Amino acid sequence: MSTADRTAVIAAAPPAYAAPDPARSMRALVLRECRRVTRLWKQTILAPVISSALFILVFGLSLGNRIKSIDGFDYDVFIVPGLIAMAMAQAAFSNNSSSLLQARNDRYINDVLASPMQPWRMNLGYMFGGVFRSLVIGIALVAIALPLTGVPIERPVHLLVAVLLLVVLFAALGVVVGIYSENWDHHSFINNLIILPLTFLGGVFYSISILPSPWQELSHANPIFYMVDAVRYGFLGSSDVSAGLAFGFTALVAVAMVAWAQWLFQTGRRLKP
Amino acid sequence: MADATQALTIEGLAKVYDDGTVGLEGLDLEVPAGEFFGLLGPNGAGKTTLINSVCNLIRTSGGRISVFGFAHDSMAARRLVGVAEQDPNLDRFLTVRESLVYHGGYFGMSDADSNRRADEMIDVFDLRAKADVRTAKLSGGMKRRLLLARALLHEPLLVILDEPTAGVDIELRHDLWNYIRLLHRQGTTILLTTHYLEEAESLCEDIALISAGRIIARDTPAGLKRRYDATTLEEVYLQTVSTSLPAVMAAEEEQR
Repeated sequence: MSTADRTAVIAAAPPAYAAPDPARSMRALVLRECRRVTRLWKQTILAPVISSALFILVFGLSLGNRIKSIDGFDYDVFIVPGLIAMAMAQAAFSNNSSSLLQARNDRYINDVLASPMQPWRMNLGYMFGGVFRSLVIGIALVAIALPLTGVPIERPVHLLVAVLLLVVLFAALGVVVGIYSENWDHHSFINNLIILPLTFLGGVFYSISILPSPWQELSHANPIFYMVDAVRYGFLGSSDVSAGLAFGFTALVAVAMVAWAQWLFQTGRRLKP
Repeated sequence: MADATQALTIEGLAKVYDDGTVGLEGLDLEVPAGEFFGLLGPNGAGKTTLINSVCNLIRTSGGRISVFGFAHDSMAARRLVGVAEQDPNLDRFLTVRESLVYHGGYFGMSDADSNRRADEMIDVFDLRAKADVRTAKLSGGMKRRLLLARALLHEPLLVILDEPTAGVDIELRHDLWNYIRLLHRQGTTILLTTHYLEEAESLCEDIALISAGRIIARDTPAGLKRRYDATTLEEVYLQTVSTSLPAVMAAEEEQR
């Protein structure tokens, strides 16, 4: 094609040039993020599934005989929802924060930032990797826990909503931390010194109703408590606080996290000098 | 509104980094469609800042950029630009082929088109033997080849090459320029930065010299040599933008 021909093509602005298919752009990013998860499956899927399964075995089956039932459930059944929620939350967070941090460090994120992809599609595309990884881990853990403990799924629709809110929240948090982190220490700091302790103190291994004052009241200030409680409601049909409060709070934080990540992609702050 | 005559129009472009460093200061530039355009200047002059501004990789502080008449941050403009950055920035989790196919996807191409173009680029840049190797395991030369292949995959009409031959062997340099010349003959606009002045002189129809974030001279290679009474582009460069020690000493001598 001659120069004149090509410039004529531009002048006419045909769809191939003027309107690249944005849905394909996001699909490519989603597939890339999932590819990273499957390529590193031993680290991204197998390791967290094994460690959570060990928690169920060690805490549930061995200690379960020595601990009285909690809220009318055997101890090994009681801890399963919290352990699954904890594994999924950590997977969604650490997947996205490490993926974004790596992409920024090596600057291959520029291939995405320069492309004809709207910021909201970039945001969702990067979030999806964590959601995918976390759902695979959740399904694997349910498949392991069901025959081992006989944990019921009393309210499947509530469980689905609770899990989706939880993974979206932590996937978005992972995107935010991945964008703000300057190095791997920052990523580890958030994971090991904030998320993990709050998860352990969020009622994964116990019901906060057994805690004395003021620990019971303080537990209500832990945002992860509501998320664990929402997932537990889906599994067991009972929760420490009302289901409305647990779901409402989790949804509110999830929306705030997605909005924060979106603002970063929209403005380019921290992503572009 | 599409503009068939100007591949790139930059008006009053400014960039001040967060630490106060001035990258660009009211830069104006026009690159006609179909031109092989060279941008020369010393390290820190603003070449990469200019390129990153056009490619939406930095937040500009002021000014306006349009690509074939489209605002540079529009989806239409982004589709028209392909960039090979100075330092290899390849996705370490992907193979050579995957890097190309996913890039096509990011740029809105169908799976069939992405795969077809990936095969073409793999052949053009002699990457066939490494097609299924992860990018982290490639040699420096192979990474450079892939970087160029990726920049050209979505058939951009404005190709930006930031120091594409830095640290590249003669064979690849030869192959690269042959292919870029072919693209240029087919109507693709090329914006090239290089420290190899003889390359710029032989390839570029028009050259701009940039220093301290501003364009300080612009003409054809012959026109620049005439204007500065020089026999080579290197002499022009040393007279205008070089901050090398001999140039600084010569300037100080002249002041005395």
